[in-house]
Amino acid sequence: MMFETNDRTLKNFVRTNTEYYQREFNKIGAKSGYKFSFNVSAALYGPIWFGARNIWNYALAFLIIETFCFVQLVRGSFGDITKDARDKIEKIQSTIDFRNQQLLAAKQNNSDKVEVYERAINSLERAMEGYVIDINTVEESAIWIALSGVFILVFAKFLQGIIGNIILEKRYSDWLSDHSIDPGMTNNHFLLSVIFTAIIMCLSVINYSFPGYLTILDGFPTHPDIRIKSINWVESSFDLAVLKGDALFTTITIGIRSVLDFLELIFVTTPWIVIITAIVVLTALSAGIKTAIYSAAFLSYMGFLGFWEKAMTTLALLGTAALLSIAIGIPLGIFCARRYRFYAVIRPIMDFMQTMPAFVFMIPVIAFFGTGKVAAVIITMIFGGTPVVRLTVLGLRGVDETIREAAIAYGASNWYLLRKIDLPLAAPSILAGVNQTVMLSLAMVVVASLIGAKGLGQDVLEALQYANVGQGILAGVAILFVALILDRVVQGKKRV
Amino acid sequence: MSSAIQLQNVWKIFGDVPNNISNSIQTETISKQEALERYNCVIGVSNVSFEVKYGEIFCVMGLSGSGKSTLVRHINRLLEPTSGKILINNQDIMGLDKIELEAFRNTKIGMVFQNFALMPHRSVLDNIAMPLEIRGVNKNERVNAATTILKTVELEGWGNRYAHELSGGMQQRVGLARALAADPDILLMDEPFSALDPLIRRQLQNEFIKLSSDLQKTTVFITHDLDEAVRVGHRIAIMREGAVIQVGTPEEIVISPADDYVAEFVKGISKLKVVTAKSIMQKPESDEFFHDIIGHERVHQDIPLNQLIRTVTFHKDPIIVTDSDGVNLGYITQPSLFKSVIEENNDV
Repeated sequence: MMFETNDRTLKNFVRTNTEYYQREFNKIGAKSGYKFSFNVSAALYGPIWFGARNIWNYALAFLIIETFCFVQLVRGSFGDITKDARDKIEKIQSTIDFRNQQLLAAKQNNSDKVEVYERAINSLERAMEGYVIDINTVEESAIWIALSGVFILVFAKFLQGIIGNIILEKRYSDWLSDHSIDPGMTNNHFLLSVIFTAIIMCLSVINYSFPGYLTILDGFPTHPDIRIKSINWVESSFDLAVLKGDALFTTITIGIRSVLDFLELIFVTTPWIVIITAIVVLTALSAGIKTAIYSAAFLSYMGFLGFWEKAMTTLALLGTAALLSIAIGIPLGIFCARRYRFYAVIRPIMDFMQTMPAFVFMIPVIAFFGTGKVAAVIITMIFGGTPVVRLTVLGLRGVDETIREAAIAYGASNWYLLRKIDLPLAAPSILAGVNQTVMLSLAMVVVASLIGAKGLGQDVLEALQYANVGQGILAGVAILFVALILDRVVQGKKRV
Repeated sequence: MSSAIQLQNVWKIFGDVPNNISNSIQTETISKQEALERYNCVIGVSNVSFEVKYGEIFCVMGLSGSGKSTLVRHINRLLEPTSGKILINNQDIMGLDKIELEAFRNTKIGMVFQNFALMPHRSVLDNIAMPLEIRGVNKNERVNAATTILKTVELEGWGNRYAHELSGGMQQRVGLARALAADPDILLMDEPFSALDPLIRRQLQNEFIKLSSDLQKTTVFITHDLDEAVRVGHRIAIMREGAVIQVGTPEEIVISPADDYVAEFVKGISKLKVVTAKSIMQKPESDEFFHDIIGHERVHQDIPLNQLIRTVTFHKDPIIVTDSDGVNLGYITQPSLFKSVIEENNDV
C-alpha cells in the first residue's frame, strides 16, 4: 500500500505509534486475504481503545461483551449471589421462631393445636434445609461463573487484538477520501471513552453482583404527580381546542359529509346492475378485457355472499377519503416541490401521520369530530393521504431540468410549465402516489369500523369479537377484492 | 451601426454573497480560487463586455467551467447578472418585468441546447411548435409553421414521431427547428453539436453555416472546440475563469493569440483555411517593385492559405496580392509561403 505524503498522512490519522501502524498496515495491504496482525493496545484496552479512536460501533459491541464478562467475574468471586436464598432462610427462620412461641404457648395451655404447630414447624424446617442446600450449590458454582467470565474475557480480548488493526486500516482508507471522518485520539475522545466505559461497567457490575446496593438502579426515579399533571394538561388543552375550534370542525364535518353523502347516493342507491356494468366497463377501458372479467367475478362474489351493500358503503367511505386526499395532496405536492424549506416542515408531519398508530390519533379525532363516518374518513385520510404528496413532490423534482429550462427560455409562464411540462412528465410518479393512497386507505377499513363506519370492516370486526371464522374470512376476502378492483382501475395497464 | 447584443461589464457571482463583498470582489479582481476560499462564492462571469453585430455569428469558446454557458444564459436572463448592463437591440433587458420578459424571450430569442431538451412526451411537430404555442398561436397555424420548418432542417415526414424516437443528430435538428419556429432575432446555441458524434457534428455544422448565411440571424454560438469556433464563427471570444481574454476574428486569434493560454489552443488548429494572403504577404520597399512583375498571378488579400498553396504550385514566380479594387498590396514568393506554413503550423 502506498501512503500519500501530502497533508493527509498516516501520522495525522493514527496520532501515536506511526511507525508501528505503517508496518502493520503495509502487512495487511500486502496480502489479499486475511492477514494476522495483533494489536496489543486494542486487546488490552478493548472498548476504550475503539472509543478513543472514534470507532463507536465496535466499542459498543465489545463493551457489552466485556461488561458481561466482568459481571460474571465479580459475581463469581466476590458477589453476593446467595442473597436471594439467605433472605428466604431468614424469613423462614423468623416464621419458625414465631411458630415455636405459639407451640410453647399451646403446650402450656394444653391446647389441641399442638400437633398442627408441630407439623407446620417440621415442614418449614424441611423447606429451610432445601434453601441451605441451594446456597451450597450456588456457592460451589461461583467458581465456574467466575471462570466462564475469565474465559470469555480472554477470548474477547484476543478477538479485539486481532481485528483492531484491520478495522483501523479500513477506516484509514475511508478517511483518506472522506474529510468528515474523525480519526479520534484527542484528549476529548479518550476522556469520553474512559468515562463511558467506566460508567457502564461499574454500574452493571454493582447491579448484578450486589443486588440492592444502589437503590437508584432499581427503577427510574420519578414522581406520580408528573404523570397526573401531564394527563390533566393534555386533557384541558384538548377541551380548549374543542371549544375554540368548534366552527372549524363543523365546517370540516359539513365538507366531508357532503362528499360522503354524494358518493353514498351514487354507490348505495344506484341499482347493482348499473354499478357492475359501470365498473366492468371502466376496468376494461383502463386495464383491458382480462382484468374486466376478473372484476366481474369479484363483484359477483360480493353479490352472491350478500356483501353488496356493505361493499358499496365501504367504497363510498374509501372513495371520499381517497378523493379528498388526492384533491388536497396533489396541489400540496405541487406547492412543496420547489419550496424546499416549506417541504422540510411538511415532511416530518407526514412521517408522523404515517408512523403514529391509528388508535392513537383516533383519540383526538373522536374528541374533535365524535364517532361516526366523518371521523372514519379523517382517520383514513391521516393514514393514507401522505403518499400522494410525497410522490407528487418526487415526480416533479425528477422532471428534467434542461427541459424546463428550454421551456422557460421560450418564454413559458409558470402555468404553462406546470401544465405542459411538469405534470405530464411527473404523471407516472403522481399516479403511483394516487394508487398508494387508495391502497393505504383500504388498509384502514377495519380500523375505521371501530369508530362507527359501517361496511365490510364491521363484518370483520364482529367476526373478531365473536370468533366467527367463516364470516371474518369471507368479509376479508371481499375487502381484498375491492382493493384489487380499485388498484386495476387507478393503475390501468401500467404496472408500477 | 448599433449592435444586436451588447454586454457591458457583466458580473455573475453565485452564492449567498452580501452586496459589499460582491462589490469588493468586483473591484479587487481576485481569482476564482481566491473568491471561493475567501468568500465561499463562485465567480461565474467576471467583468465581460462585448458587442455582437446584426447578422453576425459570434462564438464564445472556452473549456468546461469557464463560464461560457453561464454567460449565454444572461442574454435571455435565464440567469440574472450580479451587476452590469445587457442591451438587446439597444433595449436594456434588465428593465423588463416578468410578463415583458416572457414575451421578449418568446419573440426575440431562440435557444438550442447541448442535450437537445426536447419534450419526450410530445411529437416532433409539437416540440417545434412550442414557442408558438406559448405565444398563443392556434393549432392549425402552429402545425403549418412547424411542418414548413421541418423541411428546412430536412426532417420531412418525421413530424408525428415522438421526439425520443429520433437519433441524436435528428433531435438536434428538431432543437434547431424549434429555435427557428419562433422566427427570433437572435439565436443562442449552447454547445449545440457537442453531444453528437464527429461525422454528424461536421454535417450539422455545415448545414448550420449554410442555413445561417441564408437567414442572417444574429447568433451567439457556445463551444468548447476551437476548431468548431473557427469554422462557424465570424468572430470568437475566448473565455477563461469567467473572463473574456480575447475577442477577434478567427484569423486574428490564430495569428496573434493574446496570451500563452490562447496560444496553447491555437497550436492544434489547422491554419490552412484561417490565415489569409494579407497576413503573410511581404510589402515591397517601393511601388516600383510591382512594375517589374507585371503579368504575374494576382490574388485577393482574403484568399486563405490552402488556396494560395494551390496557386503557388502552378506559378513559380512571386504572386501579387491585391485588395477588392485591384490595388497592389504586396507579394508572396514560394519560399516565403512555405516558410509561413511551417511557422504557423507547428504540427505539420
